[in-house]
Amino acid sequence: MAGLYLHIPFCKQKCTYCDFASFPKEMGKVDSYFACLYREIEGRSKQYPKTILDTIYIGGGTPSAVDSKFIMGAIRQIKKCFTVKKDAEITIELNPGTVDEKKVKDYLSVGINRFSIGLQTGFDDQLKKLNRIHTAKDFLLTTNMLKGQNISADILIGLSEQTAEEVYKTIDLAIAGGASHISVYALTPEVGTPIYTDYLNGELLSDDEVADIYDKVVIYLKEKGFDRYEVSNFAKNGFYSRHNMNYWQRGEYIGVGVSASSFMENRRFTNTFKIDEYMNAIIYNKNPEISSEIIEGEDAKFEFIMLGLRTTNGISIDKFNKTFSSDFMSEYGDILKQKSKFLDLDGDTLKIKDEYLYVQNDIILSFMKD
Amino acid sequence: MSINKENIRNFCIVAHIDHGKSTLADRLMEKTGQVSERDMEEQLLDSMDLERERGITIKLTPVRMFYKAKDGKEYIFNLIDTPGHVDFTYEVSRSLKACEGAILIVDATQGVQAQTLANAYLAIDNDLEIMPVINKMDLASARPDEVAMEIEDILGIEATDAPRISAKSGLNVEDVLEQIVHKVPAPKGDADKPLKALIFDSYYDNFKGVICFVRVVDGTVKIGTKIKTFMSDKQFDVTEVGVFSPKMQPKDELSAGEVGYIAASIKSIEDTAVGDTITTVIGGAQEALPGYQKALPMVFSGVFPLDGSKFNDLKDALLKLKLNDAALSIEPDNSAALGFGFRCGFLGLLHMDVIQERIEREFDLQIITTAPSVSYKVYKTDGQQLVVENPTHLPPVTEIEYMEEPIINASIFTPPDYVGPIMELCQFKRGVYKDMVYLDKTRVQLKYTLPLNEIIYDFFDSLKSRTKGYASFDYEIAGYQKSDLVKLDMLLNGDICDALSIIVHKDKAYERGRQIAEKLKDVIPRQMFEIPIQAAVGGKIIARETVKAFRKDVLAKCYGGDVTRKKKLLEKQKEGKKKMRSIGTVEIPSEAFISILKTDNDR
Repeated sequence: MAGLYLHIPFCKQKCTYCDFASFPKEMGKVDSYFACLYREIEGRSKQYPKTILDTIYIGGGTPSAVDSKFIMGAIRQIKKCFTVKKDAEITIELNPGTVDEKKVKDYLSVGINRFSIGLQTGFDDQLKKLNRIHTAKDFLLTTNMLKGQNISADILIGLSEQTAEEVYKTIDLAIAGGASHISVYALTPEVGTPIYTDYLNGELLSDDEVADIYDKVVIYLKEKGFDRYEVSNFAKNGFYSRHNMNYWQRGEYIGVGVSASSFMENRRFTNTFKIDEYMNAIIYNKNPEISSEIIEGEDAKFEFIMLGLRTTNGISIDKFNKTFSSDFMSEYGDILKQKSKFLDLDGDTLKIKDEYLYVQNDIILSFMKD
Repeated sequence: MSINKENIRNFCIVAHIDHGKSTLADRLMEKTGQVSERDMEEQLLDSMDLERERGITIKLTPVRMFYKAKDGKEYIFNLIDTPGHVDFTYEVSRSLKACEGAILIVDATQGVQAQTLANAYLAIDNDLEIMPVINKMDLASARPDEVAMEIEDILGIEATDAPRISAKSGLNVEDVLEQIVHKVPAPKGDADKPLKALIFDSYYDNFKGVICFVRVVDGTVKIGTKIKTFMSDKQFDVTEVGVFSPKMQPKDELSAGEVGYIAASIKSIEDTAVGDTITTVIGGAQEALPGYQKALPMVFSGVFPLDGSKFNDLKDALLKLKLNDAALSIEPDNSAALGFGFRCGFLGLLHMDVIQERIEREFDLQIITTAPSVSYKVYKTDGQQLVVENPTHLPPVTEIEYMEEPIINASIFTPPDYVGPIMELCQFKRGVYKDMVYLDKTRVQLKYTLPLNEIIYDFFDSLKSRTKGYASFDYEIAGYQKSDLVKLDMLLNGDICDALSIIVHKDKAYERGRQIAEKLKDVIPRQMFEIPIQAAVGGKIIARETVKAFRKDVLAKCYGGDVTRKKKLLEKQKEGKKKMRSIGTVEIPSEAFISILKTDNDR
């Protein structure tokens, strides 16, 4: 079982914190880019012919910014080239203000069954500051078109001068829009983004302030029926993202498009981040990958632990032992003892205690061998 | 061909730091054609990277030059360069023993400074002919007449005919060469007497074994000569003798009056000691030359490998450094916090700094150094007397009758404007005022006695910052005095960290405890749990700070594309952790141990 990620690098405009591959000025290349995507999908299916897809995720950029015919075409191409499970989870990322009734109808028609909406915050002044194109009202307009659907909302914490109460209100808005899944991300100032300047000037919230908000938000979401299943992800009644769970369980996935990453047959590889380079490679039958690495031995074990411990389910020791023909307890017994204050070992399951999930790097690092 | 020792001149150059010692040495070599201008590397004798970078001379370096004097004769000059810093006074005295004369350089703008005085006295004590030279005549602010007066008034050395030179431009450097011929006496000694060669330095060469730098006082030594030293019974066959030009240049023999080197396949560092005398096995001298007074290390500090498994590498590195640094003392040490390491004795803080850097650079070892201490005399109630260099070894308070700490006589030269701030500083450092002398309108000499343990912290830095760099400072050890001292312990997460303990005066304990706790709070990174930092004297907590637990230490969004990148971020974080040392459950960056020194800034 595997996932497939499709990267759509187009946007109306770039948000101040965004360091993804997205190119607001390249809308003129949408046609040819999709032609390349179709071709890479076919190529990857030949490279990994036995792949059965359990999840598909269309991310960006803003996938909803392009004409829905391209999205439909891509899904059809995927279904043509790969075996896609009947109950597959097919997600598309949407940004309020870029969606209309027709697009929704088209998405549903090809089997898209999960909608991840970039809400970020319910406050228009904050949205404007982030250079988002939408307002809080636009969010509700979008969710109105998606009534009864599986909706997820992305929310940011750590905005300048943001309070926990403002985040609560944003959560309320997401719930009002019908979200059964909420992702809460701390704003990360990446070098090269406009927000990095704010960070350098101390205008963003401090780590302690962010942690304060996070802790409160975890409690608030719990009250609203959302369980945390990963550091940043909360779901109602098991509406967790299967596609993302696959990443954390170290399952296989194929990434298609500019900047997309894959993990197949123990190999991690990533396509170029430059759109022209990507298209040239595909058109001329060249390899679009810019990095490739076989993950084995200690590296693979560490990945298993590092990814698994992000989730509240933690890792299965039995699965570890079977995957690596190894004995977890003899390899890591000392570390478990050393870090016992922060870990829960319950039968076959090892996880980080809830209260330490947000300071997990230090714990995870102790599993990294020299 | 044997050398007429009447034509040999052995001399050194002494000066206050920055008065142009190395520049004059370079110029002398250039003028005697020892090195062509083309080959002239800036400051040739400072061969260690560290010396060049810091603009200081640490090790002494001999060099041989030929000079055709105005009397038509050719002379051999052996110049032995000397370090200028107060920490290295001992090295200076070593090279003085191999000379008959000393060029005393005085800066024409700055005049006599603290180390001019100290070095001039050292040379006088060693019966050297002192030849003053006034340097930096190229500077507009040069005031040679006044400086000549100062040399006569303060040092009591005739300076009317002192060459007024610019080592930088080469002005009047010939005068220096001529004066060396006429003022510095030719070496005494007899080439026909039994061999007596003083080892004034040595180092280990991987191919030739130990290379001894020697001054031959009597006799002759050549390849094949069977030699021995007075302190060890072992015998060696000389494999090579030679001189420095300034690179090592083999010769047939070395005889009385000459300065050069001897190699004799000496494998063990312990078989030759600086200050020992070399003689021949057959028909050797009966008595050794008076050696050196052993340099007493004054500052002690624990040196531990950052990686505990590198203990043996550290041991080898220290032994190799000790070979040509007699002042370095080494003793095995064991710390509950840092494991196995060494307690090392240094001449001063600069010496300690230099040794640390050499270990890290020349031996590629990462080390942790603990706060320096001095050696205290402890008089116990049972009548026993102990010398304690390591705070951890201090007996319980109940067993101590009283303690004594080393004190120094400090001499500070300063423009009069800064007398106030300096007195305030000395007061703060528990100094006792002795004397103040107005040398002239621009300079005052202040004399204080100060406890050494106050000097080893940041006295130098504070003095420089309070006087905009104008004050100079020199000291000599002046014995011990009774003092009310206590051991200050630092507790991390409730446990005493032995590597952080220091001995301080009772009146300073509270303040230093508070400062160190504050400093530790800054240098210890936040961790998974709250870390109380406490300062305690005799079990009583006198200060407390807290390093709060961190609350956010997580990689944001970790999805497909991110796995590799996030893993790299974690690897980087791991690398950072490797520079830390775990003390119990607390991780401490290695620089924390030394950073506690830098607490008593001007406030």
